[in-house]
Amino acid sequence: LRSSGSERRRSPTAAFFDDLAGRGCEPLLRNVSGTIRFDLDDGESVEHWSVTIAEGDVEVSHSRARADAVVRLDKSTFDGMISGRVNAMAATLRGELVPEGDLSLMTMFQRVFPGPARA
Amino acid sequence: VSSDLVQILDGNTFVVSDDRGDIEASSTDPTGLFSFDTRFLSKWVLTVDGERLSALSVDDLQYFEARFFLVRGTGTVYVDAKMSVIRMRAVGDGFIERLQILNHEDEAAKIRVRIDADSDFADLFEVKDALEKKGVRKNRVEGGRLVLGYERGPFVRETRISSTARASVDELGLSFDVTIKPHGEWTTNLAVVTAIGAAGERHERTKYGHQRMEPRPNMATDLETWLADAPDLRCDWAPLNEAYRRSLIDLAALRFRPLAMAGHALPAAGLPWFMTMFGRDSILTSLQALPFTPELAQTTLRALGAWQGARLDDFRDEDPGRILHEMRYGELTAFEERPHSPYYGAADATPLYVVLLDEYERWSGDRALVRDLEYEARAALNWIDEYADLQGNGYVAYRRRNEETGLENQCWKDSWDSISYRDGKLPGFPRATCELQGYAYDAKVRGARLAREIWRDPGFADRLEREAADLKRRFNRDFWVSDGGYFAIALDADGRRVDSLTSNIGHLLWSGIVDKSKARSVARHLVGPALFSGWGVRTLAEGEGRYNPIG
Repeated sequence: LRSSGSERRRSPTAAFFDDLAGRGCEPLLRNVSGTIRFDLDDGESVEHWSVTIAEGDVEVSHSRARADAVVRLDKSTFDGMISGRVNAMAATLRGELVPEGDLSLMTMFQRVFPGPARA
Repeated sequence: VSSDLVQILDGNTFVVSDDRGDIEASSTDPTGLFSFDTRFLSKWVLTVDGERLSALSVDDLQYFEARFFLVRGTGTVYVDAKMSVIRMRAVGDGFIERLQILNHEDEAAKIRVRIDADSDFADLFEVKDALEKKGVRKNRVEGGRLVLGYERGPFVRETRISSTARASVDELGLSFDVTIKPHGEWTTNLAVVTAIGAAGERHERTKYGHQRMEPRPNMATDLETWLADAPDLRCDWAPLNEAYRRSLIDLAALRFRPLAMAGHALPAAGLPWFMTMFGRDSILTSLQALPFTPELAQTTLRALGAWQGARLDDFRDEDPGRILHEMRYGELTAFEERPHSPYYGAADATPLYVVLLDEYERWSGDRALVRDLEYEARAALNWIDEYADLQGNGYVAYRRRNEETGLENQCWKDSWDSISYRDGKLPGFPRATCELQGYAYDAKVRGARLAREIWRDPGFADRLEREAADLKRRFNRDFWVSDGGYFAIALDADGRRVDSLTSNIGHLLWSGIVDKSKARSVARHLVGPALFSGWGVRTLAEGEGRYNPIG
């Protein structure tokens, strides 16, 4: 993945995916193989993050190629999900994100989102 | 649900109507078409020339279809028998209804047929409360269809109603001006389709289209396959054959297919109001059905494993490794007015998950699943020690962190007043109920077998066995009510026995945690006068402070 700048300027989204790709085998995804693409819309443009999982090993790219599951959502909603402010399932029920394709991939993937900050 | 209501269902889609097939929902009569925990029709009323009809009879054909035989008029003495009206209804992504009117006269009949339709889009949690909705309801006519709609921001639910016969459609129903020849008939097929979301899941047809309704819907084929796949049982005593067949059909009706499980089914908690994934209920039903339908257990283990808790979330009472209590899909869950996305407030589902995994492998020999779910099973075993020991005394206990909408009692009996001392007082929290300790013991013993034989981790197996033996020793000392000869229902926050006699002790017998020397006394109580009513085992013994024979 091409770095878009120094560590300081890295977006939370990039930090989240870099961290995920750098973990080696993620045990929460070790039964998962497939590609899930997040299309993040900030109102002006759409950022593509393509996550390919091979039995827990994760690779991330900006590929717009066909994926087994595609999730389209506002970038602000995604920022909420990766910081624990937004629960992925509740957001899906509200219609804030629309998963298409293999729903089991999204179910498995939501496990890696953090929980809310605790008092 | 009162007895003159008619229900048909397919997973979490179900229709509850009166015996005419009509739906007129009110806070006391929770009728309607429901799907994904949302009411999609609260009104569905058939009239002929402005008059309601009367039921002659109802055929409950299968759990997913019903047929209503109706005549005109609602008088108790006189009904107009010149015309028969038959509604044949089958459920599936909404429902389809074949409306058939037969003219028995020598003269042509000119009539106006009308279906009034509307929806309040109530969440299942609010059907009895008649709450003010926060979103906007708007019905529209679109391409010859009636579309009932509800929007709250991006949350969109729609009911799309169409007819094969030409109808004049307005925002509150469909009308037909019909002339039926002498001894002729008129038919239309009505499709009521539930749609979720603004774009992704809007669809135009029910799952089982009219063209496939004859000779039978796919669901009938599905039911036949289900029955054929189960073990064959033959017995000279006919009632046993019938009871077995009936049980298999009832289990078929209880099936729920989680969206992410590609058509595989697990047992829901109860029909029609609890047609969703539950930790406790889905696991225990799967466990009891293992010899007959082991595929239910497989789906339960996979689905609950996929949704296993992965973080700390106080609103959902979620911990890493915890197995969920209940999943819901309605508006209150979507907007986090309820925590069911999913809610994790159960302390028994997690150890029971390991129990089911072991028992499933014993019946099926499917070691591959035990290997696939090793991480989840270890996380569940870890939860018992790491997150459930709230009193710091080595027992599984619960105390909700969501104090507004979480469950107070997160165990076998989850009503608010189910755990009491003999004098009727309620203990404080955390509470460590006895059956939870039995399940934890069983989970450790069974986890040890899986670790030794399948995960090839003898060290872990040894540790689990040591912990199980220690738990058993402490439990038989700390929970035993010696002047009664039974186990307390719980230990309270101070580690004191909550000393009432209850049916919970029955769970201990199958868990294996009871010392041999104490088992006989426990069994005597279960079939003794205080607990056994002659019909079954009372949940709370006669003579206890909160005992109420009709409560």
